[in-house]
Amino acid sequence: MKCLWLFPGQGGQHSGMLEEVDSDLKKQVESWTNVKLLDSEEGYQDSQQIQLSILLLQVDQIDKLKCKGWKPDLVAGHSLGVFGAAYAADVIDKEDVFKLVSLRAKLMQNSYPSGYGMGVVVGLSRSEVADIVAKVHSKDEPVYLSNQNSELQNTLSGKISAIKESLQLAKENGASKVQLLRVPNPSHSPLMQKVAARLEKEVGPIALHQPQCIYLANNNGHPVKDVNDISYDLANNLIHPVFWETMINVALEYQPQVSIEFAPGTAFSKLLKAKTDQLSIITLQNMSVDDADYLLNKWKGKYND
Amino acid sequence: MTERNWHSHRDAKNARLSSALSLLDGKFAKTKDVVKVLETLIKPGDKVVLEGDNQKQASFLSAALTKVDPEKVHDLHMIMSSISRPEHLDIFDLGVASKMDFSFAGPQSTRVSQMIADGTMKVGDIHTYLELFGRLFIDLIPNVVLVAADKVDREGNLYTGFNTEETPTIVEAAAFHDGIVIVQANEVVDKLPRIDIPSGWVDVVIPADKPYQLEPLFTRDPQAITELQILMGMMAIRGIYEKHHVQTLNHGVGFNTSAIELLLPTYGEQLGLKGKICRNWELNPTPTLIPAIESGWVDSIHSFGGEVGMEKYIAARPDIFFVGKDGTMRSNRALGQVAGQYACDMFVGSTLQIDQWGNSSTVTHGRLSGFGGAPNMGSNPTGRRHSTPAWQSLKPDDDPLAKGQKLVVQMVQTFGSNKKPVFVDHLDAEEVRKEAKLANVPIMIYSEDTTHIVTEEGIAYLYKTDSMEERKAAIEAIAGVTPVGLRSDPKEVKKLREKGIVALPEDLGVRRQNAKRSLLAAQTMDDIVEWSHGLYNPPAKFRSWS
Repeated sequence: MKCLWLFPGQGGQHSGMLEEVDSDLKKQVESWTNVKLLDSEEGYQDSQQIQLSILLLQVDQIDKLKCKGWKPDLVAGHSLGVFGAAYAADVIDKEDVFKLVSLRAKLMQNSYPSGYGMGVVVGLSRSEVADIVAKVHSKDEPVYLSNQNSELQNTLSGKISAIKESLQLAKENGASKVQLLRVPNPSHSPLMQKVAARLEKEVGPIALHQPQCIYLANNNGHPVKDVNDISYDLANNLIHPVFWETMINVALEYQPQVSIEFAPGTAFSKLLKAKTDQLSIITLQNMSVDDADYLLNKWKGKYND
Repeated sequence: MTERNWHSHRDAKNARLSSALSLLDGKFAKTKDVVKVLETLIKPGDKVVLEGDNQKQASFLSAALTKVDPEKVHDLHMIMSSISRPEHLDIFDLGVASKMDFSFAGPQSTRVSQMIADGTMKVGDIHTYLELFGRLFIDLIPNVVLVAADKVDREGNLYTGFNTEETPTIVEAAAFHDGIVIVQANEVVDKLPRIDIPSGWVDVVIPADKPYQLEPLFTRDPQAITELQILMGMMAIRGIYEKHHVQTLNHGVGFNTSAIELLLPTYGEQLGLKGKICRNWELNPTPTLIPAIESGWVDSIHSFGGEVGMEKYIAARPDIFFVGKDGTMRSNRALGQVAGQYACDMFVGSTLQIDQWGNSSTVTHGRLSGFGGAPNMGSNPTGRRHSTPAWQSLKPDDDPLAKGQKLVVQMVQTFGSNKKPVFVDHLDAEEVRKEAKLANVPIMIYSEDTTHIVTEEGIAYLYKTDSMEERKAAIEAIAGVTPVGLRSDPKEVKKLREKGIVALPEDLGVRRQNAKRSLLAAQTMDDIVEWSHGLYNPPAKFRSWS
């Protein structure tokens, strides 16, 4: 049975999401990072709280699934999700991954105090959005085409004023929906160069291991099996678009039979359902690891004959 | 001067087979030795055909090829009609193979694009099926072929049955030019139902660990047919099938043509067309044609490949299908493509994009999908000589030496399932040519070959146009509210309708409000099973679990 594990990034965090998490693991993370995880709406106004909590939730679910004997054949993480993906692929150790994400969140928080962010355009193709961005972008009004979430859903990153202008143009050119996102950074664009350079220095000395499965890289959508490619992705995915649509197309070409989306959220499973009816889909947002284990055992017989 | 050795290929083949003797008992190797057999018989740089078409896959051998030692086997030049399975590309990641000549890559098109871009895979060319089969006998003569059979007897004769597809063509190219023929078999038996390939053409047989992979590719559930597709089907039947007296034809894969198949016994019957159109088919055994067969519309069907679940039905209808004495169908992709190209009045297909001039392609950004049967069957065979009423009906009347033309019909809705316009100024394929450094733009069907386009708006009779300007105007007239369609000028459309170059539903006597699902001869898979008298057995994924 071939299994694809999906790891969402920021966006789905909500108070109380850490209730089921192993309390020892949570304490360990707090001591490694010197951050007290609040798991409250108030806490989730803070980038470090968000990133560490999502990673904690995912690592906890990974540990529990692996404890029951399940392993991924393919991992795909979106933005922050690459850290869960790399951990699931046995590339990075637990302590290292939490310390790295803690620093990443702190650097991101301090990089653009105000005036920068992201927007989303739905209903235009990537090349159509690229044309619009090219019209608006300048040195003083920087805006970049960033994440490719699906064929007709792309994000913009840059200065808020330039994003707003691009969104307006997109609307005039037939976009079905445009929206400013509640993200305080121009993530996944060249504007994050400084953060990436600092992270690169940090990742360097960490002992990373060869992946135990195929890792779908954010920065180019390629399937990679070499630890150096993954190391690059962990440090630098902030300066590249997340080529999610391509990552998923490639993952599906490996013909997995099962996908598991780790919490929080179910957005990526919905995108998958729109693409294929060939997958049995599990979302850990609304299913316990025990229930997932039950289903996986049931499907194993069906797919291994 | 020493005399040239005129049998060096034979010597080389014998040497390879000798070195594998310890692994062989006669022609038979053990399942567990498959990797060793491949490492012994395949040499670096070999041209290797790995059987993979859009239905049957030599999946046991392709999996084994990913396990060979790249030190021993590397830089293979793969020749494959369809790149379908992940391991077809994994062998490039592993360094076992480096070059690929192929036709279709739909199920792996994203990775193919990536591997070409990063240089992991060198592409010889993208081919039509017939070109690729043809080159196996000219300049891509294989050193080794890896194919799949259903059953093999103790002597090594093969039964490929229902899914014979291209196995005989591939084997022939190797067997008669000192290539090595390696076969995976689902089953070893004492007596075959019939012999499809004689043992004399076969060198090595390996029993597979499990049956080869087979996809039910041509099954369409009538429940998914939309009223818009029914409307287009009605227009096509009136404005093309009836108008041109189309008797011999091929349908592409898709819901548009499924709708037509299911309209013949109802709408077609009302029009009194039975016996006048759609009698002889080159077509895979698609379940949606069962109602038309059962109502006496169809004289004959020859098939490229089989279709899962149709076995018993076909065995019971040997007057219609090509069936051996044993009761199972024999398919043949190479002969089917020849028949589809040369012996049919019409090809009806679909596409993802059509440009302002009428060129169409399924290749889009990031997906180098190649093509299936469309480029062969969707082209006008200028070498054709025999005449039929449909072919004659496209003959221009102003040239004393003029001849007929194949009907090549594209049926598309103006907006695709992704809500993007199908009609575009420029095909994505133009950009893809640059990105993948191809010699030609990967166009599936050229404008010059396209005689009709059907959309939910109407039909454009492109073969009647006198100039490219008129051709563009005809396309604009039926392109709806796409950017291409919005350029259409109502006065021009009126003129085109008067000249018979464009027909709207009302011009064809088709009423939009009559395009209802109740017009389909079968509305569910269960209905099709009933039409087949219980002989059709739908694949699991098409069965409802009520």
